Amino acid sequence: MTRLLVVDDEQDIRYLYAAELTDEGYQVDTAGSGAEASRLLLEKEYDLLVLDIQMRGESGLQLLQKVVRDRRALPVILCTAFNCYKDDFSSWLADAYVVKSSDLTELKTEVRRVLAKHKH
Amino acid sequence: MPLECCWPKEQIAPGDCPYIPPGKEHLLFDRKQRFLSCCLECPRLLNDLGLPAQETGNLSEVFPYAIEEIIQLRARLQDQQNLLESRGREIKFLHEVSLVLQTSVDMDEVIAMALTAITAGQGFGLNRAILLLVDRSRLHLKGYFAVGPRHREDAVHIWKELEDHDLTLREMAQRFFEQKMATERERFRDLLEILSVPLAAEDHPFVQTLNSQLSRHIPDLWQEPGIPLAQRQALGVAELVMVPLVSKNRRIGLLLADNIVNSCQITGEDLQSLETFALPMAFAIERAALYERLQQELVRAQETNQRLQQQQETIVRMEKMALVGNIASNIAHSIRNPLTIIGGFARTLIRSTPADDPKRRHIESIVREARRLEDVLQEVLVHSESLHPTLDLWDVNQLVAGVYAGLKEDLEMAGVESHLELTPALPQVKLDYKKIGYCLRALFSNLLERLPAGGQATLSTRAGEGDVEITFRDNGPPLDAATLEATRDLAPGSAVTGSHLGLSLCARILSAHHAGFFVESTATGTVFTIRLATAQGGTP
Repeated sequence: MTRLLVVDDEQDIRYLYAAELTDEGYQVDTAGSGAEASRLLLEKEYDLLVLDIQMRGESGLQLLQKVVRDRRALPVILCTAFNCYKDDFSSWLADAYVVKSSDLTELKTEVRRVLAKHKH
Repeated sequence: MPLECCWPKEQIAPGDCPYIPPGKEHLLFDRKQRFLSCCLECPRLLNDLGLPAQETGNLSEVFPYAIEEIIQLRARLQDQQNLLESRGREIKFLHEVSLVLQTSVDMDEVIAMALTAITAGQGFGLNRAILLLVDRSRLHLKGYFAVGPRHREDAVHIWKELEDHDLTLREMAQRFFEQKMATERERFRDLLEILSVPLAAEDHPFVQTLNSQLSRHIPDLWQEPGIPLAQRQALGVAELVMVPLVSKNRRIGLLLADNIVNSCQITGEDLQSLETFALPMAFAIERAALYERLQQELVRAQETNQRLQQQQETIVRMEKMALVGNIASNIAHSIRNPLTIIGGFARTLIRSTPADDPKRRHIESIVREARRLEDVLQEVLVHSESLHPTLDLWDVNQLVAGVYAGLKEDLEMAGVESHLELTPALPQVKLDYKKIGYCLRALFSNLLERLPAGGQATLSTRAGEGDVEITFRDNGPPLDAATLEATRDLAPGSAVTGSHLGLSLCARILSAHHAGFFVESTATGTVFTIRLATAQGGTP
């Protein structure tokens, strides 16, 4: 089964994304900080990382740089409430950039697209 | 009584006359010269003249000598007087000219005065003066100005005019400067162009004279090597003087002068006077040129200062905007997360709620309102960013296809039949991808609001003349007046609200791109057309 890791410091966002993506048929783990995500990434293998940017402690972009440096094969979708990080060079390391919305269609579409791309 | 003086004797012995100085012994044998040099001042001659007539002998023999000497002295005296008067006039004239040259910083005034002085009768009285100036940027000795008759025929007219007005030199120069400078420049334009010489042509007599800093008198121009035939013909004279204008060893230009009308020979004194005059003239021309440059630099500095002030104001404004943008962005973040959670869970709930459950309508309301709030939030953010587009070259088809793919599902859900017709190989367009993308989504939103299920919509692109056209065409009901008004509303902070805000923002963003935005709405449907100028075609 495809394993996803959702990283967001908002607990309800984690619940929502976990519920919706589980319904889509993925196995979803969640982490509330960059440090917790780093630990989980060491412990388990994931197929995709859904990553918030502005978090307390380590930011999503810092974690993204670490992931790219250490685990080149792991695709990452940045999912944030901000539009402006699209213009930030470091966000271009991610496979997709999704602005948070109550309609999760775009997120789900991007998850499917990125996973399909990486399977090939 | 014997005569005391030796004047009657053809020859005398040394010692006969005490007034013959050593070295003038030839006077002992030359009666005439002795009489003129010594006897006329000799007291003995006066004594002899006091004797009775029968004792003085034949005085008439020497009398013609005295008459001849007096006539010659008178002639010399007249020459000296003439010279003195001429020098007096010259000094007066030089003083008059110097006053202007020393006080004026206007290049044309200096040149008008100098060249008038050279050609006026009260001045040097030469017929024509031509000024060539060094053009440092183009490395040319360039014909700058000329004064005098262009041809012999002009002279009669000019002299008559001067006679009629009876002007002083200064008045003449002033009148020339104020009334005739432009026409004279035009009159001599072709001659001045022909006389221009590159400074690199070191064999040309003009450049040679300038480089050597020594004046030259050319008695016959046709015998002078190095001057092209066209220049000789254009000058139309045989005799010419060339005086270099040099200021502190810097080459300023060259003065040419001739007597094209009366063909009088140019004398050494004329050339000497011109050389004297050339010094203050060169200095005045250089000072006027420097002043002109200073003025230009001053204007440039003022313009730069003005631009700097404008830029400072822009920076302050942008800083304020950035602050507003930051605040808006932070608010958006704070609101977007709770909205995502509220709307997201409501959507989750709706899926597990049967259609006949009375709670479903409540949940649908939550979903709808959460979506509306998200749209408003997005518009606020776009609005805060819309004032500063980030322009880049983009493929319009890529942008249109991307937006269409994102909204195709919504169109299908609304039961709208949609078509995408893209013309391949469109030229690239300079645009802000994010903002034009927002415009396209705003037009789609309007289309979704108006079109009933079963409606048709076509999104197409095509290349126009110097632009790329994006067209939204639908067969829905026409736009109401408020919506049409919103598409024309370009004022920031206007009263447009609600669903019209998107179209108003769209119009504003397109205006900032200098793009055309046209709306045609009739009972049979509505067409939105956007025209974006191509990168080669000019705007934006």
